[in-house]
Amino acid sequence: MRKFVIVLLLLAGCVTANAQVESVKIKTSAICGMCKEAIERDLTFEMGIKKVDLDLETKEVTVAYVAKKTDAEKIRKRITMIGYNADSLQRDPKVYAALPDCCKDGAHQDDH
Amino acid sequence: MLAVPYMGFSQGTVRGKIVSMENEPLIGASIRVLGSGVGSITDTEGNFQLYDIQVSSKLVCSYVGYTSDTVPVQFDVDLVITLHENEEKLDEVLIKGNTTMIDELQPIHSELITEKELLKAACCNLSESFETNASVDVSIADAVSGTKMIRMLGLDGRYVLISREGIPHIRGLNSQMGLNYVPGTWIQSIDVGKGAGSVLYGYESMTGQINLGFKRPENSEKWYLNGYINSFGRLEFNVNHATKLSDKWSTAVLLHGNYLGNEVDGNDDGFMDLPKSRQVNLLNRYKFQGDKMVAQIGINYMIDDKAGGQLGYRFGDDLMTSDVYGYKNTAERLEVFGKMGLLFPHKPYKGWGLQYSFAYQDQDGGAGRRIHQGTEKTVYANLIYQNIIGNTMHQYKTGVSYLYDGYDERYISKLRENVDSTYTRNESVPGLYYEYNYIPNEDLTVVAGFRMDFNSLYGTYYTPRLHMRYGLNEHFTLRASAGKGYRTPNALMENMQLMLSSRQLIVQEIPRPEIAWNYGGSLVSNFTVSERDLSIVADYFYTNFENQLIYDQDQNSQSLVIYNLKGKSFAHSFQLESQYELSDGLDIKAAYKYYNVQTTTNGQLQQVPYVSRDRFFVNLAYATKHEKWQADFTWVWNGAKRLPDTFDRPVEYQQRETSPDFMLINAQVSRGFRWGNIYVGAENLLDFKQNNPIIDAQNPFGSNFDASMVWGPVAGRVIYTGIRYKIKQK
Repeated sequence: MRKFVIVLLLLAGCVTANAQVESVKIKTSAICGMCKEAIERDLTFEMGIKKVDLDLETKEVTVAYVAKKTDAEKIRKRITMIGYNADSLQRDPKVYAALPDCCKDGAHQDDH
Repeated sequence: MLAVPYMGFSQGTVRGKIVSMENEPLIGASIRVLGSGVGSITDTEGNFQLYDIQVSSKLVCSYVGYTSDTVPVQFDVDLVITLHENEEKLDEVLIKGNTTMIDELQPIHSELITEKELLKAACCNLSESFETNASVDVSIADAVSGTKMIRMLGLDGRYVLISREGIPHIRGLNSQMGLNYVPGTWIQSIDVGKGAGSVLYGYESMTGQINLGFKRPENSEKWYLNGYINSFGRLEFNVNHATKLSDKWSTAVLLHGNYLGNEVDGNDDGFMDLPKSRQVNLLNRYKFQGDKMVAQIGINYMIDDKAGGQLGYRFGDDLMTSDVYGYKNTAERLEVFGKMGLLFPHKPYKGWGLQYSFAYQDQDGGAGRRIHQGTEKTVYANLIYQNIIGNTMHQYKTGVSYLYDGYDERYISKLRENVDSTYTRNESVPGLYYEYNYIPNEDLTVVAGFRMDFNSLYGTYYTPRLHMRYGLNEHFTLRASAGKGYRTPNALMENMQLMLSSRQLIVQEIPRPEIAWNYGGSLVSNFTVSERDLSIVADYFYTNFENQLIYDQDQNSQSLVIYNLKGKSFAHSFQLESQYELSDGLDIKAAYKYYNVQTTTNGQLQQVPYVSRDRFFVNLAYATKHEKWQADFTWVWNGAKRLPDTFDRPVEYQQRETSPDFMLINAQVSRGFRWGNIYVGAENLLDFKQNNPIIDAQNPFGSNFDASMVWGPVAGRVIYTGIRYKIKQK
């Protein structure tokens, strides 16, 4: 029984160690629902990332990630690789050129 | 009241316009709030307005001849919704959805099974695609062939018209095995319609229609690779490739192969629980998309080989001289199919369509000392014209069709009887039809269809069909249907499992066409409970046969007597199904089914054997955002089934009068990645097996042997894993 408790505690320790989740807000160049979907979808499958939420009003994406597995810089880099600016980092121009029209600068200006 | 309308702050007015690709306004297009009865129709400028709409709602826009689209609500802007012309199915209006959903607007009670739902049953072909669907039952045909059969409304799958994109597909020599010839990864969607079908597709549907949509050249992944292995040692691989050839042409290549070389005998009766098998299946299709014309053509080649029965029986062994009791089935099939459509960009309700297919199939099978060989040649063509009378309130579709079926069959038996006989049947059936749609407002649709077919062997068929849909209010939709169906039975191929016994086959008379009437209706209700969608569906259908080919196992345990119905044959089917989202990403689907299926056999009206009267079904589906993690769990409880009498056999070979009830559990977990996913799952997780599914397995050539009296699983638990890799189109 005692061993069992120790194992449990050890396991719990592992879980807590793993679960050191940090959060970062990154300003992106997302402009529409499609951009939001693309960024959220891509980051969901990035190693170490737990939760992604992009707010189209502020264009900020809030990312919760496991500090041991990734860091904010890597996440910013990833966002540029799928065609969007991330804070001061510039997007990959080739990928940006291939984005759908509604995700490009200047789209949706007639909406308001 | 169950209904808890969410009267909150987040409501508003939605304004918008529905246009075609050419920016022409679509007049009379339907717009509807998903999951409620609220809706409207666009005016002469294509504009619409909806009031008091919740912020999180979705709008479903549809128009005859166009693909429906679902868009989220936006308040502050004038929505401009562009619908794309639906050249694939001129005649169908479907709602795109996440998993299974009841189509709100179709006059026929139908459910759409999307690709996402199909992924929940990772293996392997069409017969497994219905495992997470409550309306279609899947069961095992016998203890040797491993064939899975489907049932709808309590009746055998042969009474369902199974079509591929509108062209009748699984029928004739294929009516039983054909489900195994459609690889699961080829299917993009399945539309399951219950009850009488539209006259457009012919006279054959009695209990329902299952329409398969295959992967399309224009919207499939560039590459899709799938590999699968299970604990029996079965291997599967799939390669799908789609590419654009030019502005107007695109193509898709679908390649499937599977192999099982192990002899699986979990119950140690000396018989393989399922046969060794190998299959190669290749489909190549092309699509042309012009401004005024769309066309498609495809070619499919398949070869499938099975070797089962007693351990030691090998592929290619001669059944008649084999020391062991063997089972074999070799099928080779070549099919060319296609369609063409002429469109009128300024009159989207008008169109010409032509669908056609040419198929050749060669079949060589048998069991023990019995052999069945056959070839089938089929020619099918259907020319459809659709238009309106005055305005879109009155729409019609009319056309002519032609069907040719040529069969050459040979049956050789050296067991019980000494027979070597050949059968030839050439059926030529020109036909014509007219279907009128009356859509006075968004709540009511009435569809009345009639067709006449001139069968060269059996005379004229008159097929009336009637469908009605009525939206009572925002929560309830009522549907009713009635119709007649005909089909020509194929005595041997439809019941291959009956060859797997020592029973003497006695064909008492020449089979006549089967004729049945089907009547039924459904009530679909949608509510919002705790801000989540709840749907409850109740349906009832009654099928009554005027003639049916009877396979009588009840006269005695030494014979199988085949004759035309003498007396009554009917099926009552009732289903109650409910779906609810328990929490974010967690959905539950639960269903109860009641079947009362009776036929006159051995001069007595009695329950049809091997059919449960009661059945429960529960499916739990969980998915995290973007399907990073997915888990599925399906539980099915089958009530007792009547079994044919075996009391004239020696005591040790007798069976009980009814089977016990039993439950089956399937489960699957998958993890998504950017490139695809990996899945692990189990079928028949509880490892439930029918005890001694083969009667007198020690003496397969003796007079008590019977491998056809199967009511439950023969093979036990299967664990499987697989991988899917995708590269999207740029």
